[in-house]
Amino acid sequence: MGQKRGRDVSGRSAVRSAREPVAWGAAAVGLLLLLWWLATAIPDLVPPRVLPSPIDVVLRFVALIAEPFSGATLLGHAVVSLERWGIGVLAAIALGLPLGIALAWLPPLRAVVTPGFELLRYIPPFAWVPIAVLWFGATTTTQAAIVFIAAFPACIINTQLAVAQVDPILARAARTLGAGSARTLAKVVLPVAAPTIFTGLRIAFSNGWMALVGAELVVGKQGLGFLISQGQINDSASTILVGMTTIGVLGTLIDAVLQRAQRLALPWRPAAARRFE
Amino acid sequence: MAQGMPGSSPRWAGPAPGADLTLSFWRREPGRAQWLAIAAASLAAAGAIWWSATRPDGLISPLFLPPPVEVWEAFVRLLSRPYLGSTLGQHIVASLRIVIGGWLLAGLVGLPLGIAMGWWKRVRWISFPIFQILRPVPPLAWIPLAILWLGIGDSARIFVVFIAAVVPWVMNSMQAVDSIDGILVRAALTLGASDRQILSRVVCRTALPTLVAGARIALGNAWTTLVAAELLAATAGLGYIALNASRTLEMGILLVAMAIIGVLGALFSIGMHLVTRWVAPWARSGVAT
Repeated sequence: MGQKRGRDVSGRSAVRSAREPVAWGAAAVGLLLLLWWLATAIPDLVPPRVLPSPIDVVLRFVALIAEPFSGATLLGHAVVSLERWGIGVLAAIALGLPLGIALAWLPPLRAVVTPGFELLRYIPPFAWVPIAVLWFGATTTTQAAIVFIAAFPACIINTQLAVAQVDPILARAARTLGAGSARTLAKVVLPVAAPTIFTGLRIAFSNGWMALVGAELVVGKQGLGFLISQGQINDSASTILVGMTTIGVLGTLIDAVLQRAQRLALPWRPAAARRFE
Repeated sequence: MAQGMPGSSPRWAGPAPGADLTLSFWRREPGRAQWLAIAAASLAAAGAIWWSATRPDGLISPLFLPPPVEVWEAFVRLLSRPYLGSTLGQHIVASLRIVIGGWLLAGLVGLPLGIAMGWWKRVRWISFPIFQILRPVPPLAWIPLAILWLGIGDSARIFVVFIAAVVPWVMNSMQAVDSIDGILVRAALTLGASDRQILSRVVCRTALPTLVAGARIALGNAWTTLVAAELLAATAGLGYIALNASRTLEMGILLVAMAIIGVLGALFSIGMHLVTRWVAPWARSGVAT
């Protein structure tokens, strides 16, 4: 709220410059909603098959919460998606975090892993969907595997960057004071790197969430991605819009919760984070 | 910095110049030759494991992972005979056309919009909230809506690729213009430049490296998204090959398709790095990854 924008040299009062953008933004969003409503309210302008009215979407949202569609209520689909996401992301952290730390701390290991990693890195997560289906069948494992593949590189790279960024003088100071390599890593380097690592992990989490939607579109019997693909098959644009909104809102919520968790658990300032997206 | 003792082992065989020689081998940055040797050994080991595990009596069934020879044969077969109605070249062209089309279209919209959002506060106040609302929705989630609106033709895929690419175009352009040192603008003002001159000759030129970085991220996103879109709605393209090969259990072809997707993705990334160096040679590499 009280963020100061040093670049505003026009002499306006801080209060006004803080409120004005919000007003303009709200007006723009409101106008867009109004246009949407108008486009659907005037008969024969836009067929409801193509664009349902905002009211229809809200009604559809209520209906989806109350009664099951394609095997589950909206909440049910969301829980299934979150579960798959959780499994994939936890696996990515469990493997990527230690590996990333090791890669930054032990340079020869980096030479071992880098060629294979670079070969696989450019294959997008969704290109793994067909092969994951063959390997694991149309199961939760397939979905979780795609989340893992989307989240894992960001986990490794960001962890490695965060550890490598720590000022070497800190490690040297610890060494001078008699700390061994493992102790330096655990007591000095990792605490300094932790906030940057966490920021990187947040990117991994959101990559995983995005990939999950793609995986659910192709395979699976439940989940939010499945819900919107069913909406498409049933020619129900309002179902698709409810599903898309839920996916977007959940993605935002996940990130907000993680950001809050970071502030509570690792309140010290991250070193200038270089993001990998 | 450099603590290497003169007369110790030759540079190319030992640790990297500048490496801390008081550290153990495992904590030391390997030199160029060392690095290459380790990397080559690692690749060779991975290949050997693949080859030995997929032999007829090996650990892994060829349905799970085919032997390298089978992948190579699938590649040769794809080159010589059409698969699913098109040759490999036509499939690649089909994918490339959509990706480049959607990416260029996104640039056409996103670049001017982003620059305007960075330069005029009002434009930013109006459009930024709308982007903030749309941004959390993954581009892939637009696929069903795109199919509903546009059918399963090229236009649906171009639309989805456009959605995926437009956000980095806009955001990077906005940030590029927004983060320009005010002193440059004021210097130009002092020298009598008009608003339009400043925008075109000072702002856009200074922002160029970040603009190109945005284009690179947009192209990467576009490629990733296209593959997903081709899994769902396509009659040609590399993602389409991959999904069909998976349904007919042709593992060799599936792996070839994945490899080509990866190679093209890498080429895009390298190409855009070269473009950066060409249009903005003064920019340090590695800015705004």
